[in-house]
Amino acid sequence: MVEATWRHFTGALMELLVQRCFDGMFTGAIYASLALAIVMIYRSTGLLNFAQGEMGLMGGYVTLTLLSPTGAVGVSIPIAGTAFASRWIPLHPWPAWAAIVGAVAFGALLGAVVERFIMRPLTGRSTLSQVNVTIGLLILINGIVFQIWGSFSRKVKSPFPNEAADYVGILGARLRYTTVGVWATLIVIIVLLTLLIQKTKTGLAFRAITSNREGAALVGVPVNRTLTIGWAIASAIGALAASLVGGAITLSPVLMLNLLIYALAAATIGGLDSPRGAIAGGLIIGLTQSLSPPYLGIPTELTLLPPLAAMVLALAVRPHGLFGTVPVNRV
Amino acid sequence: MTTISNEQDAMAASPALPAARMSRMSKIGLVVLAITVAIPPFVVTPLELTKLSRLVVLVLAVLGVNLLTGYTGLISLGHGVFVGVGAFAMANLIDQGMSLFLAGFLATLFTGAVGLVLGLPALRVRGLYLALVTFGTALAFPPLLRRLGTWTGGVTGRTVDNDAFVPPSLLGLDDDVHIWRYGVCLAVVALWFVIIRNLVNSRMGRALRTVRDNEAAAATFGISVRYAKAGALAISAAMTGTAGVLQSLLNPYVSHADFDSFLSLRLYAAAVIGGLGTLAGVIFGVLALILIPTINGAFELLDSDAIVFGAGLIIMTFIAPTGIAGLFKGRDRGKSESP
Repeated sequence: MVEATWRHFTGALMELLVQRCFDGMFTGAIYASLALAIVMIYRSTGLLNFAQGEMGLMGGYVTLTLLSPTGAVGVSIPIAGTAFASRWIPLHPWPAWAAIVGAVAFGALLGAVVERFIMRPLTGRSTLSQVNVTIGLLILINGIVFQIWGSFSRKVKSPFPNEAADYVGILGARLRYTTVGVWATLIVIIVLLTLLIQKTKTGLAFRAITSNREGAALVGVPVNRTLTIGWAIASAIGALAASLVGGAITLSPVLMLNLLIYALAAATIGGLDSPRGAIAGGLIIGLTQSLSPPYLGIPTELTLLPPLAAMVLALAVRPHGLFGTVPVNRV
Repeated sequence: MTTISNEQDAMAASPALPAARMSRMSKIGLVVLAITVAIPPFVVTPLELTKLSRLVVLVLAVLGVNLLTGYTGLISLGHGVFVGVGAFAMANLIDQGMSLFLAGFLATLFTGAVGLVLGLPALRVRGLYLALVTFGTALAFPPLLRRLGTWTGGVTGRTVDNDAFVPPSLLGLDDDVHIWRYGVCLAVVALWFVIIRNLVNSRMGRALRTVRDNEAAAATFGISVRYAKAGALAISAAMTGTAGVLQSLLNPYVSHADFDSFLSLRLYAAAVIGGLGTLAGVIFGVLALILIPTINGAFELLDSDAIVFGAGLIIMTFIAPTGIAGLFKGRDRGKSESP
């Protein structure tokens, strides 16, 4: 009798733990993708792009507009741009996958435009000027999103089966198909990125710029074009992350501010110049965030604190991150 | 190549060595400023004057950002937090029965200490980590305030006992409390301005600018980079705390909603738009902070003025890296700064 109760008790505990881990893995994958985008820019330009989240956010809203005539699932308030969307976009209510592909293309274009017309003219200016511009972009794009789509929270239709019954039971916990799908997507991104960077000429140019920008330019590497491609890819990844997160969490203009902090924390913990670190950091932050409310007694509305504390701790103990290179300063 | 252009950029942003005498432009500017701040009490309603006072004290917050970013090269995206810490510290210290002066002083010190605690881990490393940590704090601040109900009044916010914030009877201003309050705010702001002006023209100010332009070189000169940064952060947070102290006295009701992350972003944008690394830039920055929302509201142009602040920040970085203040200075000295 006692033993049975005990088994039941530990079973429930186990179930909660596994469930929380699955939840953390979902958000962790989103943070990891955004962190990956941040790391890509940081590696090639030494710049932290504070607008990375907002650029992705705009992509998320593009998905929303392409998806449905009301612009949202379960919300009847029409959004600006909807009339435009149904009139001008062929075959308008696009299926979820097509909408996300469209948003990713938009994200790539946005990234390329930002690099070409905003960041490139600032080449050679101080890091402070360049970072200021990304902060300006953060504020500006957030304002534009607010202006066009309003402040309502909206749910994006998930491209993966996302009904109540769409899960695999593991140890009594529910591993949802969306979580599996998001991780599969992340793995595909990583494989594609690795192939791109290791096997293609553009990737070689990218690596050359990462290791020595001026040297690369001197031996004829097309620095500008490569950087434009880098920004386009990073921004596309951000748009993908925003579109996927919109399926689970509602999309709102403030969503990406929080996500940006999680992603930056993930990138910091993993090491700002390490793609591997970004993935590991994303997972760590996602798990910290989902495990700390039940096990550390942190109220759910304060879930921003554990990742923040983890970032501060990482800075204090291991400032270059888990996988980052130790910087060498030259006078 | 990068190094050289970095230096040029930094030099363009830094003011000339401490001038023993003020330039003619600065003198004219000071007179214009003195006249400008003297006008409102005579022309606007008491309510509007109180509103204006609340914005005027934000000079301290923008000055705080400027000291940190303009003079030391550190980015803080969380100065709204320090305004909030100052305001709530003040409210709670008044509850303890302290005099306003003592409470304000302690609240200022407390905010400086909070800034130090927040920044120390980030300051150990070079780079943009302070921006990360402060921005994260700015985002976590409102939910944190909602949880700390004992001190902050939770979701609804709390009132501040500002009954003692009235003119002494011998001034005969009993019917014009708002004018007296406006005057006190101006005096406190002016006091901080003088302190910071002397600070940036002192040994410490030169140390800060050296740290900004080249950390390694600063260390070789015997400047303790870590102390310089920590000191700048503490002073910057403290003066921003004073802004919160005054705000809480002007509007005796403070809540988490007043200190969201966009306050921090706006303060940062205002500091850059006004001009980093010059004290005149602070004035222009606060003018931007006051005028942009006012104009936007009056003409009902945009749902949110964030677009203007963001675009302003980007445009100013392109056409005038030294901000509005730099535009004036450039005319004064001829074409001395071309980035």
